Amino acid sequence: MSDAVAHADHGHAHAAHHPALQHHFDTMRQQKEAAVIGMWLFLLTEILFFGGLFVAYMIYRVWYFDAFAEASRRLSIFWGGLNTAVLIGSSLTMALAVRAAQTNNRKWTVNWLVLTMLLGCVFLGAKVIEYEDKFANYEVPGSSYNWLYHEQHAAAGGDHSEAGAAAEGHRELSLTPAQLQNTTQIYFSLYFTMTGLHALHMIIGVGLMLVITRMAWKGKFDAEYFTPVELSGLYWHFVDIVWIFLFPLLYLVERP
Amino acid sequence: MSDHVSPVSLYLAIFGALMVLTGVTVGAAYVDLGPFNFAAAMLIAGFKASLVVWYFMHVKYQSHLTKLTVATGLFFLTILLGMSLIDYVSRDDFSGQRPQPVGPDAVIEPARPH
Repeated sequence: MSDAVAHADHGHAHAAHHPALQHHFDTMRQQKEAAVIGMWLFLLTEILFFGGLFVAYMIYRVWYFDAFAEASRRLSIFWGGLNTAVLIGSSLTMALAVRAAQTNNRKWTVNWLVLTMLLGCVFLGAKVIEYEDKFANYEVPGSSYNWLYHEQHAAAGGDHSEAGAAAEGHRELSLTPAQLQNTTQIYFSLYFTMTGLHALHMIIGVGLMLVITRMAWKGKFDAEYFTPVELSGLYWHFVDIVWIFLFPLLYLVERP
Repeated sequence: MSDHVSPVSLYLAIFGALMVLTGVTVGAAYVDLGPFNFAAAMLIAGFKASLVVWYFMHVKYQSHLTKLTVATGLFFLTILLGMSLIDYVSRDDFSGQRPQPVGPDAVIEPARPH
């Protein structure tokens, strides 16, 4: 009987409600806050997920600092810096997409989301170029890893100017070339794991945005209800923050 | 709904600050500050992350409960990083504890039978 009453009451109250309001929430505001906290709780698990890798990075960096410094010079500040700028730019366009949704601007919600996805793809494209360079120089950990290949290649008249500069000793290293062969693989293992996991998050983010953009295109959002845009934004900004830390940790261990 | 809408100018200002700080990070890496290079890099990255969390992720305009949720994440990340590092860095003869890397030509002595 109480079910029937509740149902009748629900039906009665429904007329004044936003169609996106779920029956177990009182107001749109309450519903959105619950969703935002839920998203943040998910992001906390993500923070600790990446956090484990950061701990591994820190310990090995303290143990084999010279290997990390030498291997880090093999990365290109140009590509890393460009990607940092691209990702920060995509965070701006994402924030503007959320703002467009907040202000009932369907057209620009879609436009900013598409631009954000494009910038995400530029980032991934640059990452492919960087990874390709690592494979070409035998810098991928495994049986074909060869720490000395890059220097020998550069010495033989290669065009890797940055590698040439890195080959000239900066100071006395605590590790022999044979030890570098082993310990720099730890750096590159962490490099590929951390940037790979980050890139996976980017790919998932672009996939999410494809869905959200389609929803925005179909006019599912308005100033009262744009929670999916807001939550995708939180996810995208989080991925941006991870890169904000990865860039100095991986590319700028010790320069020049 | 009284949802806060930030002005576009604020977003542009935050974007500008993040770009400038990226340049500062790269520049600072080329100045030899000894152990403070790492501290400077992390300080700048932390500040950039705070800007993103506070303004882009709208935490500034969220309820205390949401703010507390975010702070909880930072708290546990600090425990994860801090306590793990305190353990490793504070050990006696830290460098001696480090697993010694071996070259590819290293010979591993077999255990001597009794």
